[in-house]
Amino acid sequence: MSSENELLIENTYKNFGNVSAVKNFNLKVEDNEFVTLLGPSGCGKTTLLRIIAGFEIPDSGDVLLNGKSIVNIPPYKRPLNMVFQRYALFPHMTVYENIAFSQFLKKKPKEEIKNKVKKMLELVQLEGFEKRKPDQLSGGQCQRVALVRALINEPKVLLLDEPLGALDLKIRKDMQIEIKNIQERLKMTFIYVTHDQEEAMVMSDRIVLMRNGEIIQIGKPKEIYNYPNSIFSAKFIGENNILDGEVLEIKNDHLVIDINGLNILTNKTSNVKIRDKVFLAIRPEKIKRIYTIENKSFDNHIVGKIEKIVFFGSTIKYYVSISEEIFLVIEEKVAEENNKHVKGNNIGDEVNLRFSKEDVDIFLK
Amino acid sequence: MKKRNKHIYLLSPLYIYLILFFFAPIFILFIYSFWLKSSSGFIHTFTLQNYIKIFSNPLYLTVIRNSILIGLVTAVICVLASYPVAYAIAFKYKKLQDVILYIILISLFSSYLVRVYAWRIILGRYGLINQILIYLKLIKEPLTFFLYSPTSVIITLVFILIPFTILPIYSSLTNISIDLHEAAADLGANKFKTFFKVTLPLSKSGVTSGFIFSFVLATGDYVTPQLVGGTQGLMIGRIISDQFGMAFNWPFGSSLAYFTLFLIVLTVNLFIWIVKILKIGR
Repeated sequence: MSSENELLIENTYKNFGNVSAVKNFNLKVEDNEFVTLLGPSGCGKTTLLRIIAGFEIPDSGDVLLNGKSIVNIPPYKRPLNMVFQRYALFPHMTVYENIAFSQFLKKKPKEEIKNKVKKMLELVQLEGFEKRKPDQLSGGQCQRVALVRALINEPKVLLLDEPLGALDLKIRKDMQIEIKNIQERLKMTFIYVTHDQEEAMVMSDRIVLMRNGEIIQIGKPKEIYNYPNSIFSAKFIGENNILDGEVLEIKNDHLVIDINGLNILTNKTSNVKIRDKVFLAIRPEKIKRIYTIENKSFDNHIVGKIEKIVFFGSTIKYYVSISEEIFLVIEEKVAEENNKHVKGNNIGDEVNLRFSKEDVDIFLK
Repeated sequence: MKKRNKHIYLLSPLYIYLILFFFAPIFILFIYSFWLKSSSGFIHTFTLQNYIKIFSNPLYLTVIRNSILIGLVTAVICVLASYPVAYAIAFKYKKLQDVILYIILISLFSSYLVRVYAWRIILGRYGLINQILIYLKLIKEPLTFFLYSPTSVIITLVFILIPFTILPIYSSLTNISIDLHEAAADLGANKFKTFFKVTLPLSKSGVTSGFIFSFVLATGDYVTPQLVGGTQGLMIGRIISDQFGMAFNWPFGSSLAYFTLFLIVLTVNLFIWIVKILKIGR
């Protein structure tokens, strides 16, 4: 299980008719790594997973496991296993028979199978469920069975195709942690497909952000969150205020961007010229209402009006209008919100906003 | 009154229909089977004489046995021939499934008699098969064993009954998600093992009901044997209908019908039991 497993996807292309599902895809997945393929529906993430599993044959390119191409190996001979979105448990078999399916096929001794299944059921806390049929299980239990049915085979790489998509929020959040824990405990390589950026952030060692069959950005969750490389990354990962503007001035240490008459200072980037159309992205938690942090200089000072306040429990969000066209969302921790010095706690109040130029990401249109 | 019981009244039209036109007549027939025929009509009595008569003459038992054998062979051929067709429509030719199903159903649109007569024309002494064989100079004299034999009855019954096996098998196969095939492949099963461990067990209900449909309908058929069976292909349905018609011995006809019904129910349950204990796919 813990031998050197390295999965390499090289120059892979896949078209369905005129639609290209995967384009020039290159990815190296290290041993013990939890990699998430993240993107909106139709971005090719599931197709790519199915290429790795062997259910789709790429039009060109190669998939290598430990240096050996597996593209021409049929799925049932590949040392990989997959967890399906809709569980795909065999309805005519009990939980025990479902989990033991691959072991029966390998003609393992009965006693060994029994011990292995027991271990697997312990792993997902389903002891005593051996004799149940899948239709007597809840969605979360089904997905646990599906997970260990794949794990019992000790795959070199486990592929998970939106395994939590059909579960409700509370169970999904618990399962995210559970799956991550299992992956760390078993020291296995997981490739996980999801369209839920929060899920990707919680679980992944690395995120591969995809759009239209292409990789947009690869990186640790923190890297992608803090340094999105494109407007798509900035929009897709986490929340962001996106502003549409034009480069007005290029100064020594900063740029001045004109957003419908509002000037915003940003860090200097080498690739812009005056009059270039740009997008700005500012995280809601980076914008501070004045007096919340004292004695720190900020580059941007804006005045706005609170339109809406939404309470999220640990955080609170203010929806602020700067002008007719410009709206900003501000997120604060509730502890800060309780601070008596802060003015502008009510809808309709005027509010002073501050944020530094480092916190503004700038992307060419 | 519990709320969930209310909807049971929706079933009442069906129940009324079944009671009036199925259970009542069949019960009357059951009473008939204990009566006796006399020259002036029926003697209302209670005797097992009709049933004893079945066992006294080996003809009846032989014909009943032959009928059940013809029914079994027909049902087995129907199921074996239907499965690949149903599998192909369900998984391989999904785009064409409406067209293919329509073609299969077309055979049900025409009259049953027309279809049986068509087979007479194909199988007969100067029928299509003999004509072709003579034309190809493979034979000089027409072959006679095609028509008026159990074989011709089975050929004709398979043709008539095959939609009744294709449809239930097809519908049980369409309920199998393609995910399950992929999951089996992913867990190490090749196509052969996937079929025997996943597809076949999950289509068990379709196979069972298709088998029962074709077996019951074939065993009880009395038109086909009459038209293409000859004396060799005589079946029990014909004898029963003769008792109600020419012989005008309704009590004996009823007891024959009930005895045959008993054997058919027994065979069907035996089949269900065999399917159950085989535990396909474990």
